[in-house]
Amino acid sequence: MTEKMHPVIEQVLLNIEKVMIGKRKVAELSLVALLVEGHVLLEDVPGVGKTMMVRALAKSVGANFRRIQFTPDLLPSDVTGVSIYNPKELEFQFRPGPIMGNIILADEINRTSPKTQSALLEGMEESSVTIDGVTHILGKPFFVMATQNPIEYEGTYPLPEAQLDRFLLKMKMGYPAPEDEIEVLTRVQKQAPIEKIESVITLEALTSLQEQVKEVYVDDSIKRYIVELADRTRKHASVYLGVSPRGSIALMKAAQSYAFIYGRDYVLPDDIQYLASAVFVHRIILKSEAKFEGITAEQVVERIVATTPVPVQKVVK
Amino acid sequence: MTEFKVNSRLSSLILYLFGFLLLWEWIRPVEQLTDTSNVWVFLLFLLIALFLDYIGLHYMIRFILKGGVILFALYMLYYTETLGPFQSLSFMIEEFFYNFSVMLQRDWPELTNMFRSFLFFVLLWLMTYLIQYWLINRRQIFVFFLMTLIYITVLDTFTPYNAEWAIVRTVVSGFLIMGILTFYRELEKEEIKKGKAYTRKWTLPLISFIFASFGLAYAAPKADPIWPDPVPFITSLNEESGGSPTAGIRKIGYGEDDSNLGGPFLPDNKVVFEAEMEFRHYWKVETKDVYTGKGWVPSAEGEEKIPFSMGEETPIESFVDNGNVQTTEHSSFVQMLSTYPHVMYPLGVTTVDGDRQYSMELNPTLEKIETPSSNPGFVTDYSVSYERPRYSVTALSASNNENHGLDSEFYERYTQLPDNLPQRIHDLAAEIVANSDNWFDQIREIERYFSRSGYIYDQRDVAIPGPNDDYVDQFLFDTRRGYCDNFSTSMVVLARSAGIPTRWVKGYTEGEMIASGTDDRNRYEITNNNAHSWVEAYFPEVGWVSFEPTQGFTNSVQYNFDMNDDNNSSQQQEETTDQPNAPELDENRTPTDGQSDKLTITAIWDKVKDVINDYWKIAAGILAILTALIAAAYYKRGRWLPYFYTWWFKRSKKDEQFIKAYLTLLNELERYGLAREKGQTLREYSKVIDHSFETKDMSRLTAKYEQYLYRGSLEKGIWIDTQKLWENLIKKTIA
Repeated sequence: MTEKMHPVIEQVLLNIEKVMIGKRKVAELSLVALLVEGHVLLEDVPGVGKTMMVRALAKSVGANFRRIQFTPDLLPSDVTGVSIYNPKELEFQFRPGPIMGNIILADEINRTSPKTQSALLEGMEESSVTIDGVTHILGKPFFVMATQNPIEYEGTYPLPEAQLDRFLLKMKMGYPAPEDEIEVLTRVQKQAPIEKIESVITLEALTSLQEQVKEVYVDDSIKRYIVELADRTRKHASVYLGVSPRGSIALMKAAQSYAFIYGRDYVLPDDIQYLASAVFVHRIILKSEAKFEGITAEQVVERIVATTPVPVQKVVK
Repeated sequence: MTEFKVNSRLSSLILYLFGFLLLWEWIRPVEQLTDTSNVWVFLLFLLIALFLDYIGLHYMIRFILKGGVILFALYMLYYTETLGPFQSLSFMIEEFFYNFSVMLQRDWPELTNMFRSFLFFVLLWLMTYLIQYWLINRRQIFVFFLMTLIYITVLDTFTPYNAEWAIVRTVVSGFLIMGILTFYRELEKEEIKKGKAYTRKWTLPLISFIFASFGLAYAAPKADPIWPDPVPFITSLNEESGGSPTAGIRKIGYGEDDSNLGGPFLPDNKVVFEAEMEFRHYWKVETKDVYTGKGWVPSAEGEEKIPFSMGEETPIESFVDNGNVQTTEHSSFVQMLSTYPHVMYPLGVTTVDGDRQYSMELNPTLEKIETPSSNPGFVTDYSVSYERPRYSVTALSASNNENHGLDSEFYERYTQLPDNLPQRIHDLAAEIVANSDNWFDQIREIERYFSRSGYIYDQRDVAIPGPNDDYVDQFLFDTRRGYCDNFSTSMVVLARSAGIPTRWVKGYTEGEMIASGTDDRNRYEITNNNAHSWVEAYFPEVGWVSFEPTQGFTNSVQYNFDMNDDNNSSQQQEETTDQPNAPELDENRTPTDGQSDKLTITAIWDKVKDVINDYWKIAAGILAILTALIAAAYYKRGRWLPYFYTWWFKRSKKDEQFIKAYLTLLNELERYGLAREKGQTLREYSKVIDHSFETKDMSRLTAKYEQYLYRGSLEKGIWIDTQKLWENLIKKTIA
């Protein structure tokens, strides 16, 4: 891409890059989700810098960062908060849980019981939690970045498919390239760089950016293209459950956000193609025979993107 | 999306339907007020034409289909009786040519009925196009709706057409159609694509509004017109403006003494009789045969009268019964409002039937039917049966001065002229008929002569011939203005001078239609103003034929441009082949005479065969070369197509050109071998193109196109800016 990025976004990315080396694409996608108030699921092995990434992002936008380390014995109230009886004032006092922040890192979400997972996921969906009959509105912006270890690891509770649907994007970190890793080593030798970075925009500015993203124009031909892609996942021979309309919406929003990051006020089919994998893959359930044949959801989406005709003319009504 | 399509198909069907209803209102009065019969044919054509527009076939197909329908309708209406479809086609073409020549001469009354119907079809065709344009493209119908209303109300006021319900129908369908159109305009303006949800919200108030306004208007009390009937007022205004009548002016009307013609007339509105007629026709009273130089007298007085009774066949022979005149039986009813002893009858009368207490007699010289002087009486109500003639032009054209075979006594009686008739009348007659070789063409030349030469119809400023003047001579050469007597007498005299047996006929025109009557009849009122005189000519083997020389009058006579039967045509065929050395015979024939063997189907087919035999090798050669050229051009299109496109798209500076140009470029690149894959975005594709052409032009051009396509905005002046890039690229596709 030779396009000029949105200047504010460019700054945020540069800030993150002080900490995260060679992970620009991941940072970009995290911003895509942040700008449309979507959530991100990061799937990777421990120690590749997932936490660092989120902290850098939170610091860059001056957001209130909270982290929840999910463990098998974590309770829902550990996430949402709890009312404690205060004998001095003879009443229950609410002590907010870690979910009451702006940017939440839900680390190793698949290590905890489904009950506790739901507590978080419900908060993500409704932007509020209800404890002891009192509804607490969550912070704005509210952005969850959940990480999970690949499910074949022992002692995990895989997230139900319905709940996976609530994440706008799912992506992988991957190991850094050798040169990048050397650079990482050099940087952490004296002081962790995360301590040095400062915020580049305020939360208010972020909210206004979020508003601007909604104004990005999506042509009818693009909408048709999105729907055609989603439809093809539903009809694909290897797919048991295809992408829902929520998935189509997610793809459109993500594309708007991506276009905005690249300084455009309209969406291109290129945006759609770029994001299709990240948005669609975790929403598709393959048939078991396809799984045995070694077909992955990524391959299916790639194939669909490669074969679906890109709109190159105005739709004749 | 499909649902909306169905919806919009349905809605345009509704629009077409109401458009048809509005058009129908224009046709309805035509049936009642004019001689037009078979109106359903025109309605059917309207339906077919609108339906074809509605299905939206290719316009050439529509054109051919509609033209076919018109030709077929004309064939069914005018030709089926005698001829097969292909033969009629040649006659139709012949008749078209004839009518075009008539139109060039601006001789409007001469147009044949077939051609009038054809023109009417063309008019309807135009109307359907306009309706379609207004409804579907413009989405506006108000002007047409208003015009329809004005048309109907004017007819209601000035004619017997009763438009009470027509107005209601028009208003209801007009309101509906305007409401629907407004709805679509709003939808289009607001860019609402799925109109379905709104349809119901719109329909209900619209329909209730229409019914409320209709109900209110219908139920509300209506004041009597302050101006009950404007027609007499307007006519009286016209009379006043004409100045006061001068002394010595006669009133128009029927009189018995025609021996001294001339002088001005005053109009007289007195009603003579009312008649119910299936077809408009003139009413005859009597005919006169001797021209004195001042007027007309009968050749024999006090001849033996021929008595006959009511309902019996009248002893008048109008046509020769040998198939040259095809006749259809019709009848008209007469109700006398003035008292005359005589009976009015049309040409071709067969019976007169009325109050059986009267007996009738015929004066054979005058051909006047009246109650006998021995037992006089006034028949007030009677019916007249008659044969409506359709003359064979072939038979009419068969006779001329050398070859008529008429009884000499009869011939002399109807070619009688006074001895002292001025020579210049004879000269004029000879001049008029000089270019025609048979009686029929000659007499038609004479009939047309008056309108061509600028004679003026006038009832007031008409001279009375002096003692030494000839009535006809004065009109033809000096005054050149007059009324029916001047025209008809002059025509008889000219025709007789040319040797054609003719007589002078007196009676009434068809009058003015006042109402529709029983069955298919219309009721006409005949006043003294309708007193008229005209001409009848006798053709051997045919009979009497009416002619109307008077300016501004028409008496339509039906002609058959036929050949009698197939034998006849084959005979003629033989004759022409036998006489190859006499082509000059053909030259004088006009296209109207129907005998021209140049235009028969077999002759045309023979010619076509000859041409094919002579030239098929050349034609096949040309065809093969053309095919080869086209194929070569197609295979080598890479050599020239880009140049063509460069020229084609550079003609216009419009921004829209950019879009077409870009898409054409994509096609050309594909032809060149750089096809875009289905799933490839334009941006990726242009990188590939730029890479292989080592430019950046395609990416720059594509960025502009992306803006148009995905951003929905077309930059101003985009085509001017990008033309250079585009041209560079399209030139690279040259093989």
